[in-house]
Amino acid sequence: MNPKRKAVAVAAAGTALGVAGLGVIAMPAGADAAPELPPVSAEALVESVFSAESPALSGTIELDNGLGLPAIPGAPALDMDSARVHNDGEGRSRLAMQDGGTERTIVHDGATVWNYDSASNTATKTTLPAEAATGHGMTGDGQVTDPTSAAKDVLQAVRQSSTVTVDGTARVADRAAYELVLTPKPTERTLLREVRVAVDSETRLPLRLAVLTHGTTEPALQVGFSDVEFGPQPAGLFRFTPPPGATVEERQADQGREHAPKTEAEPQFDAVGEGWDTVLVGEVPAELLTQQAPGSDDVNVRGLLGQIGKPVTGSFGSGHVISTNVGNALVTDDGRVAFGAVPEQVLIQTLGDR
Amino acid sequence: MSTTLAGVDVPEGASTPAGPLAARTRGLRKTYGRTVAVDQVDLDVPEGAVLGMLGPNGSGKTTTIRMLLGLVRPTAGEVRLLGHPMPEGAGHALPDVGALVEGPGFHPFLSGRENLLRMAAAEPRLTTSDIRGAVDAALERVGLSAAANRRYRGYSLGMKQRLGLAGALLVPRRMVVLDEPTNGLDPAGTREIRTIIAELHAAGVTVLVSSHLLAEVEATCTHVAVLHAGTVVAQGELAELLESGSPSLLVSTPDTSAAMEALRSKRIPSRLAPEGIRVDLTAATAPEVLAALVRADVPVHEARRARTGLEDLFARLTQQEADESRMDGLSGVVEADGEATP
Amino acid sequence: MTQATMTARERAPRAPLTRLLRAELRWIFRRPRTLVVLGMLALLPVVVGIALTLVDSPGPPGGGPNGAGGGESLLVSAGGNALVLPVAALGMALALLLPLAAAMAGADAVAGETAHGTLRGWLLTPVSRGRLLLVKAFGVAAVAVAAVVAMALTGIVTGLVINGGGTLFTLSGTTLSFPAAVGKVALAAGWVALQLWAVGAVALAISTWTEHPMLVVVSVLAGTILFSVLGALDALDWLHPFLLNDSWQAIGDVLRDPVPTGELTEGALRALCYIAIALSIAYARLTTKDG
Repeated sequence: MNPKRKAVAVAAAGTALGVAGLGVIAMPAGADAAPELPPVSAEALVESVFSAESPALSGTIELDNGLGLPAIPGAPALDMDSARVHNDGEGRSRLAMQDGGTERTIVHDGATVWNYDSASNTATKTTLPAEAATGHGMTGDGQVTDPTSAAKDVLQAVRQSSTVTVDGTARVADRAAYELVLTPKPTERTLLREVRVAVDSETRLPLRLAVLTHGTTEPALQVGFSDVEFGPQPAGLFRFTPPPGATVEERQADQGREHAPKTEAEPQFDAVGEGWDTVLVGEVPAELLTQQAPGSDDVNVRGLLGQIGKPVTGSFGSGHVISTNVGNALVTDDGRVAFGAVPEQVLIQTLGDR
Repeated sequence: MSTTLAGVDVPEGASTPAGPLAARTRGLRKTYGRTVAVDQVDLDVPEGAVLGMLGPNGSGKTTTIRMLLGLVRPTAGEVRLLGHPMPEGAGHALPDVGALVEGPGFHPFLSGRENLLRMAAAEPRLTTSDIRGAVDAALERVGLSAAANRRYRGYSLGMKQRLGLAGALLVPRRMVVLDEPTNGLDPAGTREIRTIIAELHAAGVTVLVSSHLLAEVEATCTHVAVLHAGTVVAQGELAELLESGSPSLLVSTPDTSAAMEALRSKRIPSRLAPEGIRVDLTAATAPEVLAALVRADVPVHEARRARTGLEDLFARLTQQEADESRMDGLSGVVEADGEATP
Repeated sequence: MTQATMTARERAPRAPLTRLLRAELRWIFRRPRTLVVLGMLALLPVVVGIALTLVDSPGPPGGGPNGAGGGESLLVSAGGNALVLPVAALGMALALLLPLAAAMAGADAVAGETAHGTLRGWLLTPVSRGRLLLVKAFGVAAVAVAAVVAMALTGIVTGLVINGGGTLFTLSGTTLSFPAAVGKVALAAGWVALQLWAVGAVALAISTWTEHPMLVVVSVLAGTILFSVLGALDALDWLHPFLLNDSWQAIGDVLRDPVPTGELTEGALRALCYIAIALSIAYARLTTKDG
């Protein structure tokens, strides 16, 4: 063969091979057609979710954030790249949340919860009350006594404000899943269009949660497994020994919620209304508003609100509205706060009514 | 085969050597885009010969050599080197060919010896245990033993050239190709190169040496190929080429104008030369010329036959385009070959 | 014609390949520039380690500029952890310095040799062009490995000297034995070396098209920066899987326990694809180019 033609052939073949390989890598996972599954009613699906045993699994959870949060200069973006979950199905679990080059690891060994932060090299040990230790499920919130009645209660409550349907199937993390959809009733004044929960057809484990708003096709918020594998997990994963040099803090479970201990200045909120247009109302301590904004030298929180929020006035007085794709927050100049998945008019009205 | 240009007749047989050929090209052509670097080159390098490839800069010498060595693939035509088609047969032919092309290529941060060791590592004819000995011998041969451990960076132009030569002589070769080997060398260095070429010749090695300097070729070569504007315009044995061309008579006279006038009336072409006048002997014999002069009462000090000389040939071949207007040297010949002057 | 096919079938004499490879290595590691670059890269973990002890407080998480690079935010954890330092230093250098070193090796391998006229020397001995590419690719790969190994070694030693032997633990808080820790660093180093081979292969391919080594280095530098910029643009996320450096920040994953292999595997496969493309282009060019 002509050497020039041979060279071109080699170059073309090698390049084609490489580009094809890159194409395979680039191919989005789980883009297959929706799987065929036997039909199931919403009631049966919800019930099966409640009655399902928490399976042993390992997987990666990814969070897609399309909230449209205003960018706060100098502040870290609210992101968690991904989290890896391991669960042995018997109440022990491990959650590793990855953020850039750091990691927060939460190991729940049945009786204690270790919360380790690699950035500060601190480990927090929380001993759970005895009855919680016997509970199963990834939340560790206690035992669900009667799944059927619990499911009925929940469905009934939800149906007061929403339509619950099973809307076809989906493939999530290469698993066949039912799509359970909660749609707000027309009377609900909310920014949200629907909430979709993908439920694994076999294990009945919720695999993905997506929140959709009006006028968009991409979810405003989606959290779900990008890959999941069911099966026994090595026991070593559910033990934790703090590394040398780590700061170790001990807590009791009743000191607060186990994973996110409250800061002292945390404000209290009241829920106003119910269903989709619930608005949370509270007060922000005045000193918080005059604190310096994170990551800046000369702007305090109040000044920052002026930068990212839109000034509004009403019967409540005056304040700023911060808008996202899924909801609004109203901070008044005198330190009151109201937020919810509702249009700003609802917030203004709620605060004015109080 | 006979090559003719500007009135130079190369005798039949001069380019058809009797013996086998170490290298041969036929219809060789190389173009770079629209530029034709080499065209229709039919070169014969007889085995055992020292062939001088003569041509001004840009005449296609280096391109021809690079095609001969398989570095460049010809656009058209064929090349055989030591019986192997090139560039396909490079793996077979090149181990027996030593070459120094386009100046020596070495790494400045390595010493001369290290550079040669690197080169020798790739020599198929050297076993690993022989490498050091071969490198030292080659360094010795080109007179670089003393400077072998100095960095190449610090070498003079002549030392660099000699190191390049050493690289070509790492192993006993059947053929050695040297592209402008005396470039940058002082007279002593030039003499050394000539000695080395003579030694190679004596050992039966075919040598192809290119040069734009005639004296170098005249001094070292048995054969000559003259390139001009990308084609071979003359080739053959040096002696034949030296004898070829129009014989002429050098006449020394105090009255050159009268002499030329007298000859012109007899339609004998002549031209002015430093020693007097040069009379072309193609149209008349020497006695006829002398008779014409004497009859015209031109005083003649001396008359002797001048051989045309490779210099004359080379000058006529190559100055043509460089100096279109000053063709006084050639005009007489052209006129003699063309129509006679009135 | 028959003569030609016959001579082609006969085996041409060849110098042993190992001898060529040895000569290439000797040439590479005798070059002052290579040694200076390797030395500077080896010093990097030491400098970073000392700088971290001087700063001493890792600072609140997210307090500094976050997410600027996997390596940089890994540094947050490198303070009191001997295991993190070598990997963080590798991750940091992978962003620009190591690719530059690979580009330099690739540039010298063909373009540099062409410029010196030394490539011709080997072609005339003769070395077939396919073997030449093999030798050159080997040389570039060796430089990449040398750079990565040098950084890993000084990183481990610096980490151990500064933090002590008991401070080998993962980002997930798992304490490791010394061999296990070395294994993790070796995994990181091997993965980084593979990425550098891809960069080096691209440099080698560019190198066959020019005789200006600087042009090769500048191209790779420009490409690295361009890829980083493209990778930062969310609007182009369909393009990201095609960018070689898309998963370079995943280097920190080796420090997690258990190691999430997804992105590391993807990055490795991507590097292999780049190597296949670049080397086949380099082969095509080298076999047809004039010597």
